[in-house]
Amino acid sequence: MLFAYILKRLIWSIPFLFAVSLVAFALISAPPGDYVATFAATLAQSGDVVDQARLEALRERFGLDQSFLVQYWRWITGVLRGDFGISFEWQQPVADLIWERMGLSVALAAATLLFTWAIAFPIGIYSAVRKYSFGDYVISAIGFIGLSIPNFLLGLVLMYVSVVHFGHDASGLFSEQYQQAPWTWDKVVDLLKHLWVPVIILGTSSTASLIRIMRANLLDELHKPYVTTARAKGLSEMALLVKYPVRLALNPFVSTIGWAFPQLVSGSVIISYVLSLPTAGPLLLQALLAQDMYLAGAFILLLCCLSVVGMLISDILLAVIDPRIRYR
Amino acid sequence: MMRTVHGSIAGALGLALVAWGPGAQAQVVKSEAPALAALAKDGKLPAVAARVGDEPEVVTPLKSVGKYGGQLRYGLRGSSDHNNILRMVGPQGLVRWDLGYTKVIPNVARSFEVSPDAKVFTFRLRKGMKWSDGTPFTADDVLFNMNDIVIAGALAPLGPRYMAGGKPVVVEKVDETTVKFTFADSYGDFLAELASPLGQNPVLYAKHYCSQFLPKYNAKIDDLVKEAKVPDWKGLFQQKCGDLEIPSRWGNPARPTLDPWIVKEPYAGGATRVVLDRNPYFWQVDTAGNQLPYIDQLVSPIAQDVESLILDAIGGKIDFQLRHLDSPANRPVLAQNRDKGGYEFWTANAPGGVNMVINLNLTHKNPDLRELFNKKDFRVALSIGMDRKEIIETALLGQGKPWQQGPWDDHPNFHKQVSTQYLDYDAAKAAQLLDSVGLNQKGADGMRMWKGKPLKFKIDVIPTLQPEQVDMLQLIKRQWAKLGVDMDVNALERTFFYERTSNSNDHDAAVWGGQGSWVPGDIPQQIVPVHHDSRWGIPWVNWYKSGGKQGDEPPASVKERMKLYDQARATADQDKRKALIAKVADIAAAEFEVMGVATSAPTFGIRKKALRNAPDVMTNSWYWPTPGPSLLQQYYWAN
Repeated sequence: MLFAYILKRLIWSIPFLFAVSLVAFALISAPPGDYVATFAATLAQSGDVVDQARLEALRERFGLDQSFLVQYWRWITGVLRGDFGISFEWQQPVADLIWERMGLSVALAAATLLFTWAIAFPIGIYSAVRKYSFGDYVISAIGFIGLSIPNFLLGLVLMYVSVVHFGHDASGLFSEQYQQAPWTWDKVVDLLKHLWVPVIILGTSSTASLIRIMRANLLDELHKPYVTTARAKGLSEMALLVKYPVRLALNPFVSTIGWAFPQLVSGSVIISYVLSLPTAGPLLLQALLAQDMYLAGAFILLLCCLSVVGMLISDILLAVIDPRIRYR
Repeated sequence: MMRTVHGSIAGALGLALVAWGPGAQAQVVKSEAPALAALAKDGKLPAVAARVGDEPEVVTPLKSVGKYGGQLRYGLRGSSDHNNILRMVGPQGLVRWDLGYTKVIPNVARSFEVSPDAKVFTFRLRKGMKWSDGTPFTADDVLFNMNDIVIAGALAPLGPRYMAGGKPVVVEKVDETTVKFTFADSYGDFLAELASPLGQNPVLYAKHYCSQFLPKYNAKIDDLVKEAKVPDWKGLFQQKCGDLEIPSRWGNPARPTLDPWIVKEPYAGGATRVVLDRNPYFWQVDTAGNQLPYIDQLVSPIAQDVESLILDAIGGKIDFQLRHLDSPANRPVLAQNRDKGGYEFWTANAPGGVNMVINLNLTHKNPDLRELFNKKDFRVALSIGMDRKEIIETALLGQGKPWQQGPWDDHPNFHKQVSTQYLDYDAAKAAQLLDSVGLNQKGADGMRMWKGKPLKFKIDVIPTLQPEQVDMLQLIKRQWAKLGVDMDVNALERTFFYERTSNSNDHDAAVWGGQGSWVPGDIPQQIVPVHHDSRWGIPWVNWYKSGGKQGDEPPASVKERMKLYDQARATADQDKRKALIAKVADIAAAEFEVMGVATSAPTFGIRKKALRNAPDVMTNSWYWPTPGPSLLQQYYWAN
């Protein structure tokens, strides 16, 4: 049953991914100009000059003078063979560039997710159970502030304060001596020393929203008859809370796991950009800005795959924790 | 005031030039960086005398002989910032510009000789000079670069830089250390072209390394291509050996170069910093016999956006920087924190010219607007209808003086009429001129009518390029509206701007920076339409570039200027060249096609207070790729 369901979902995702890749490719090439024009324009911004003939040669080499469909066909047939093409800007295979940075992206996203959940669950439960108490008001106020401050602003302010007032640098994920060093235990410790800054910045708004969701969901459940019944039967308050209403209130969390997957890459773009983190986000943004077609296209395709897989996983998890949900 | 400083630098340079002449090579190399000395002692490197060769260039340090050690940190951005590295390292071509940007002097070449008709250029190379991996650098390397790459069109079609009289240059080896470039026609600007960052081709690639990526030299190239997962051998070549200005030039630590510092941690997609180490075989020494460079490493953290670069500067993590920081908006915050960051300011002067030239499209696709824009009195009216004093006071914070375009009055190429005609604000006269060209009808809104329709046009501008341009245009819009001329400011994303103007000629008008001084190599695109930045006559540019095959045939006055410009480019005698350019300017002054507002204000760079031998004032230009020609290899740390 479960296996057939997964298989069906996977087969359906193939035409979906094709459609998405076509749309993505079309969107990337939609702005006027191409990689070469953007390249020349970026250089002009710093006062640099490029030979026109050289630009034409580049355009021809990259096949940018051909029609959109021809370019798409060349790219997608390569992708089917496992060749994602070459990044125009870096003259390196796209696959190498992406995987190099995915590891840290995953670490950052996982840490952020854990941080968010570790904070949001207990606080959400507390503020639902102690509704309209002083603690609830304080938490709600902080939550709303957290929701309304844009991440990048928080990042910039934190960086400014730490540089100007503490002489400490908040950007990056590694100290200088570890940047190119091979992985050692010291390097991991160094990573952890830096990781908390972006984790907190990234985590604030999602923590705040999760707290609100948890509180609202739980409030819906707390007054239902089964809670009263359980209480009447003498179940301790803590056991009752965790075993029934919290479990039900978790449903929305689980269905959002699917969204967390593409967030691995795209969620931290602005923050990674501001804090100069060596994650995949800034590379994606640069690829899009530079119209580096194959690199950007591969990223978009990866994001779509992650969404598809993520949604599948969250559907399966939902069924596992809530027996009322069935596969059809 | 800044002009005199400019002059005195040129004067100081005159003294320095003595050491650059032949004869100085008798100097013995006496000393090298301690780390290299240790390696040489252990036998891991040849002795320093063997490394620098028999005829190293003796560089006179700007102020004092330095000492070894330390890092120089500067900020890079994560994308398309490879030329930042190029400017720091300096383009090590056969020749280079001197410090004052007045004269081309030998660089990789020990000396050069130009035939009287400016057709034959002979370069003497330095005996015993080495690539950064220790392999000898000889005439064969120049031949490889020119014949197998440039003239063969291996990576890009052969451009006008290496052609004259419609024929490609012929490059011959005279002996191991002498090469001869022969052109079919006179080509006086050739040395200046070689000194530009785009003229490094003859000595860019090391034959012994890069030839393995060329099918001509490697029959098994297909295996390498497959291994590297690139589509073709050109991709492989550019991945391994780079090109003049693509990021992968700084992506391969194994590529031998002639640069003072060589790549250790490459500039690649996803890199967080770039490190360049000293080249143990670098071929310059100071007057005391110390091998250059003094500074061990160039280290650049990669900041994705400019704000974090500013924070790096305030935090004291930047030692030297011009690029990205030099906008007026950043000055207050940098000035406020200069003690905290331990840095001071230095001045970056425009080579001349103005920060904004307005180009009405004289080749407009709409015949009505084209007819109007081509009336000189209309353009004069617009120029004297601008209150430049107000614009300077408001949008430029009082910096600069009214100027149309062209070199400043302290420059040998200064042309009074082109630069200073029609500058005085005279609204009454402007209105009268507008009436006289047939704009005497006004609509209900007070705006003038042209051919029965309201006159309305847009000026295209890229807001991110020079942000003050938009402010200036807003003021001009108000001033012109008082005359009844309805202009709109059309801010465009930069790529779209290029598409709309230079590529498809769809614009009514556009603005562009007009910095320059018409020296050889610097294209005078505002007095003769020969470049895609000449947005006042793009089809004429195309006509010129294609030799009459594409675009529109320009009017006689433009054709005459194109001819004179070609003659100027062919002329080696600097006085004759100057006279020819002045003739071009005479015609441009009479036609008055483009208009400017104010002289380009100087910008600023920062540098750590302990950094020595960096000039206080430098030209800010691409053709004098700031700060490269100030020779960062002779900068050093005082403590």
